[in-house]
Amino acid sequence: MIFRLKQRSVLPGFKLTLGYSLLYLSLVVLIPLSAVFLKSATNGWQHFWEAATAPRVLASYKLTFGMSLLAALVNSAFGLVVAWVLVRYHFPGKRIVDALVDLPFALPTAVAGISLAAVYSSHGWIGQILERVGIKVAFTPLGVWVALTFIGLPFVVRTVQPVIEDLNTDLEEAAASLGASRWQILWRVIFPILRPALQTGFALAFARALGEYGSVVFISGNMPMRTEISSLLIITKLEQYDYAGATAIAVVMLLVSFALLFLINWNQARSHRFL
Amino acid sequence: MSIEIRNISKTFESFQALQGVSLEVKSGELMALLGPSGSGKTTLLRIIAGLEFPDPGSGEVVFHGEDVTGQGAQQRQVGFVFQHYALFRHLTVFENIAFGLRVRPRNRRPTEAKIIEKVTELLRLIQLEGLAGRYPSQLSGGQRQRVALARSLAVEPRVLLLDEPFGALDAKVRKELRRWLRRLHDEIHVTSLFVTHDQDEALEVADRVVVMNHGRIEQVGTPKEVYDQPANPFVYDFLGNVNLFRGRLNSGRVQIGSANFQAPDHPETLDAPALAFVRPHDIKLSRQASSEASMSATIVQLSALGPYVRVELRQEDGELLEVQLTQEEERQFLPRPGETVFVELRNLRVFASDYSI
Repeated sequence: MIFRLKQRSVLPGFKLTLGYSLLYLSLVVLIPLSAVFLKSATNGWQHFWEAATAPRVLASYKLTFGMSLLAALVNSAFGLVVAWVLVRYHFPGKRIVDALVDLPFALPTAVAGISLAAVYSSHGWIGQILERVGIKVAFTPLGVWVALTFIGLPFVVRTVQPVIEDLNTDLEEAAASLGASRWQILWRVIFPILRPALQTGFALAFARALGEYGSVVFISGNMPMRTEISSLLIITKLEQYDYAGATAIAVVMLLVSFALLFLINWNQARSHRFL
Repeated sequence: MSIEIRNISKTFESFQALQGVSLEVKSGELMALLGPSGSGKTTLLRIIAGLEFPDPGSGEVVFHGEDVTGQGAQQRQVGFVFQHYALFRHLTVFENIAFGLRVRPRNRRPTEAKIIEKVTELLRLIQLEGLAGRYPSQLSGGQRQRVALARSLAVEPRVLLLDEPFGALDAKVRKELRRWLRRLHDEIHVTSLFVTHDQDEALEVADRVVVMNHGRIEQVGTPKEVYDQPANPFVYDFLGNVNLFRGRLNSGRVQIGSANFQAPDHPETLDAPALAFVRPHDIKLSRQASSEASMSATIVQLSALGPYVRVELRQEDGELLEVQLTQEEERQFLPRPGETVFVELRNLRVFASDYSI
């Protein structure tokens, strides 16, 4: 038989849903993104290169990627602890804490930014204590990091939490009966199982931090070369009607983000073999 | 390595899982803990493993004369096999088996060559030599459980504890694997204790069987002892199908309905209520009344169960009676539904009925 009979399945509509997915992705993601590429090319390669590699822009890349990475790393560690505590321990007010974790998701980022700036400025509650030991948070790269950590936390907690919930205590007991110490159980049994989810959480928190704008601009002070993030530079350029310049930075951000996320996902697919 | 349990109790919140249990497992023995769910058998096993601890001050767990009650699972050197395997899914079969060797403190950790040798030997023992590089998700249930067993044996445990090891497997694999476990035990002779709620499994595999109910031990004995001489109605009822009769016991005889039987175990009991049990294969059908077959019953239903035919009868008092015939007996007797026949009860076991089930 030359023509294969159509495979029948319980759920119909494969073609319809695939077509819809492609259309939707095109309209919402692919077409706008290609517009960015097209727009950035309007003034020629020379201008693109200059706009994308100006010293002030390079400094913003460094700050944005560096602090996003740092924030995602710290979130991975503390998000894991928070998720663990929320799953494994029972304490009064646990449900409230659980709900609080989602707050950075729900809060308008500007609100987060203003409150962070208020608390961490040299007159704020935490800011003035830190000031006494010589740590300045507001209007420094550290402030950028604080904001990015704040908005990234729920991504890690919410991706790791269900995996910890599914974690069978049998595994820990089996390891213990084989003579493993608590530390060995954590490191050799639990962590490897959580790693894929942790990587996903890390990637999400990192991606979110790269694009973050609202919560950062209030606490960072936006000093050129020091505390200016890339998203802010793009806005600045747009306000000056330099669309090509703005999209040039956007293209660089886009490519680097895509490359990094691709790398993380690829690494994860590799470490997923055993599932 | 012998195990001795002295007067262990365990309470979970308001539920008392174990009530003063004492038990001795002889060195090199394969023993089954048998009981219905909630009887405390798994709790007892976990207390021996050090995964659960007895109520404070309630008793001791002793391994070969050494009190290990205060030790955790890490120190006790027991092999524990879980019902759902509990394999490390991120590790290959080889690494799963090697786990217990690799986590040893540096000064007691074998060399890599020794580890490879040991794991290879165990893989041969569980007949999975070719699958060392597979992940648990690529194995069948029976294979996974054998890997779990090899993993627990790798650390050369003092005792091997198995919690419903075949419970998650299908009937055929289950039978194969329990016979294999018996042969394996005959080879390696490690003191083993396994939990099961399947009486066939316990009777077939174990050297001795512990029958548990409601957090207590009802009887300890060889499979033959517990089956042929059950200590009480619970044990009789739990080990296989039974027919129950209520009657009156008087000076070594028991009266059931219009029939009268000998009850030589109870010569001194005078006019007391009694429970009498008969296994379905200990009942003979006949068409003529005789001194042995004086009870009559009506055949209700016949069902073929492989090599046997189950005959369901209704007694005069309305109680149902179950009889098991071999195919040959059935061909000779040709029972027909609706027919009234006489039944002869053999190997009747009588208990004075202060004991309720």
